[in-house]
Amino acid sequence: MSDTPLAPLQFRSAIAEPRAARWALIGIVVLGLGVLLFAPLIAVFAEALTRGWAAALASLGNRDARAAIKLTLTIAAISVPLNAAFGIAAAWFITKFDFRGKAFLITLIDLPFSVSPVVAGLCIVLMFGANSALGGWLVASGYPVVFALPGIVLATVFVTFPFVARELIPVMVEQGRAEEEAALTLGASGARTFLTVTLPNIRWALLYGVLLCNARAMGEFGAVAVVSGKIRGQTASIPITIEMLYNEYLSVAAFSLAALLAMLGLITLLLKTILELRHADQIAATYHH
Amino acid sequence: MGRPLIHRSPMPGLGLSMGITITMLSLVVLLPIGALLWKGASFGLGNIWETVNRPRVWAALYLSFRLSLLAALFNLVFGVVLAWVLARYRFAGRRILDATVDLPFALPTAVAGIALAALYAPNGAFGSLAKELGFTIAYTQWGIFIALIFVGLPFVTRTVQPVVEEIEREVEEVSATLGASRLYTIMRVIMPMLTPAALTGFALALARAVGEYGSVIFIAGNIPLRTEIAPLLIVIQLEEFNYDAASAIGIAMLLISFAMLLAINLIQVWSRRRIGYV
Amino acid sequence: MHIEIDEISKAFGTTAALHPVSLSIPSGALVALLGPSGSGKTTLLRILGGLEFPSSGRVLFDGHDATGLSVQERRAGFVFQSYALFRHMTVFENIAYGLRARPRALRPTRAEITRRVTKLLDLIQLPDIGPRYPSQLSGGQRQRVALARALAIEPRMLLLDEPFGALDAKVRKELRSGLREIHDETGLTTVFVTHDQDEAMELADFVVVMSMGRIEQIGKPQDIRARPATAFVREFISG
Repeated sequence: MSDTPLAPLQFRSAIAEPRAARWALIGIVVLGLGVLLFAPLIAVFAEALTRGWAAALASLGNRDARAAIKLTLTIAAISVPLNAAFGIAAAWFITKFDFRGKAFLITLIDLPFSVSPVVAGLCIVLMFGANSALGGWLVASGYPVVFALPGIVLATVFVTFPFVARELIPVMVEQGRAEEEAALTLGASGARTFLTVTLPNIRWALLYGVLLCNARAMGEFGAVAVVSGKIRGQTASIPITIEMLYNEYLSVAAFSLAALLAMLGLITLLLKTILELRHADQIAATYHH
Repeated sequence: MGRPLIHRSPMPGLGLSMGITITMLSLVVLLPIGALLWKGASFGLGNIWETVNRPRVWAALYLSFRLSLLAALFNLVFGVVLAWVLARYRFAGRRILDATVDLPFALPTAVAGIALAALYAPNGAFGSLAKELGFTIAYTQWGIFIALIFVGLPFVTRTVQPVVEEIEREVEEVSATLGASRLYTIMRVIMPMLTPAALTGFALALARAVGEYGSVIFIAGNIPLRTEIAPLLIVIQLEEFNYDAASAIGIAMLLISFAMLLAINLIQVWSRRRIGYV
Repeated sequence: MHIEIDEISKAFGTTAALHPVSLSIPSGALVALLGPSGSGKTTLLRILGGLEFPSSGRVLFDGHDATGLSVQERRAGFVFQSYALFRHMTVFENIAYGLRARPRALRPTRAEITRRVTKLLDLIQLPDIGPRYPSQLSGGQRQRVALARALAIEPRMLLLDEPFGALDAKVRKELRSGLREIHDETGLTTVFVTHDQDEAMELADFVVVMSMGRIEQIGKPQDIRARPATAFVREFISG
């Protein structure tokens, strides 16, 4: 397709930008994404491998790194199912029933997207920290929340709160209630209706939301930094450990862990793209983040 | 008789789904935010003002807001161009570019932070280049600006791209038959159609940038009054167990977030009323 | 304006949308391109309007070769089936669009634009809808606004793609006579595409029956009815 005077007439388009403008815009975009996105991505792996593969792998195997990996997996293993359960319940409640204040409820669910992760962490510290009545009682009872796993999980659930619900709500609105109503008239129980009718219809959207939720849960830094207390080997997740190593000028170790998370990010993007290509019709058409 | 709070429905699971929703929303989101507001209320408005009204805090809030605004503006322009190119042009590598746009959502902020710091440090790949040209990027406001562009990059693109894909070809064709040049069509027909989505993306990018912490602190240098962002100030106060001051700054930021959330909603209401769609 | 279509063909990739067709449309005529979907009638209309370019052949306007003219240079008033009204502009702004889009030297004054838009609103018998948005109009009103917008640029010809396709039967009948009146008043050479033989027969001076990218018959409505030239035409107009 070309608009230059030399191009054969039949290949001209009546409403396209001139060829030069198109290539200029493509050039700007490629250059911009190259500098802004690809360069940092490459830098992570390049910095991790400055002393070779052996050094990079060795730094992943030491005790603190292993503890961090284990903690991050634990955080994700608890907070992602919690959010999936919440997302399904909220989407069911919002799309299958009519009630006053629905729009307000949706706004509240979206709220964590507009709150700084640091402020989210602060909120949790104020509520459950040793200084508060509730936190003091919990510490005295032997169940500390802040500077311990429960606080980290709570902070993670907070920042990832809307992910699954936001994916499910538009899909379930689009699918309507007719199929569930049909199942109910045929005598299916509520649980059976959900498992055999609703769940198959929303599984790809659910997977999509879980994928994004998981990436954020494993990578959350700001909120966890505030509530974790950054106790090495105990409450330091991978991102927190990266910060500590980086501040100690242990560059290879920091970037090796970073590369691990970057791989997770790349796998997430890959799976997300595959889902978008294969199951576009069963994933919300509008964009969420 | 008023409208019922909840309409009767044959659907099962009302109690269960409502229970889980309300309980988790309260426990995870509302009560903690309430704790912050309660702390603020007991601290007192006067004390909050006294805490915020110090040069260091003002400098941090001003810096966060100003650079976030500039980064969001950059992303507004670049994001619209990017959305246009991805939706309209076919070229080798388009799919890879399209998938990469979401990298800032998938890459943890701490990872992005140290990667940007390594790139733009005076001995880094881009930093050394800038040094030869007489610039310093890392540990200056430029570094913060770049980090905020990174985290906000996908928002405008992802809100605008579906709108570009939905523009009917006929609308552009009719403009051409009426004698309008391509540039005139783009400025007068296409841009107004993209404006509501672009503004929504802009507001989302701005909200994200104002609260951003992880990707900024490594490249910022964190010098009080010059390169210290507001979220970092909260972290510093917390590390000194100065909960009152941290809460005061937190409330200030929360108010900014609420204002932006309100702005997003108003934009959508406005565009729906004006054009009949979002 | 006299339109001459000289051995025009159009291929999209390997599929031929139009086999070489020739057609002469006298100045001031109201012509219908009639045929089923896929007959090439819309492609031919779009080639006249400069929205597509032919693979071979020429288009002549008043004897001058217009094949290479860009869509902007053609000055063809084009009305789409979907109307393609600008949703973010009022009716007034929609109609004024083509005048405001002109280069500064050729642009009418603000007062002149207002005068012309007002006149066009009177012509389509909707004098009061200037401040409204397209979303606030009925289907029939939208169609007439699209027509007024096309007329505003003082076109050399009027091209309409299924102008009544998106309307219900009752409104369709009303608007048919409206188009006829506007044609008679402006004297513009008018070509419209339709798959509805009643519409073509009732409205047009000449009907061009098309099928599979070829012209099957050209003639006055009553001649086509009385003497179908091919089996396809007989089948199509009886159906």
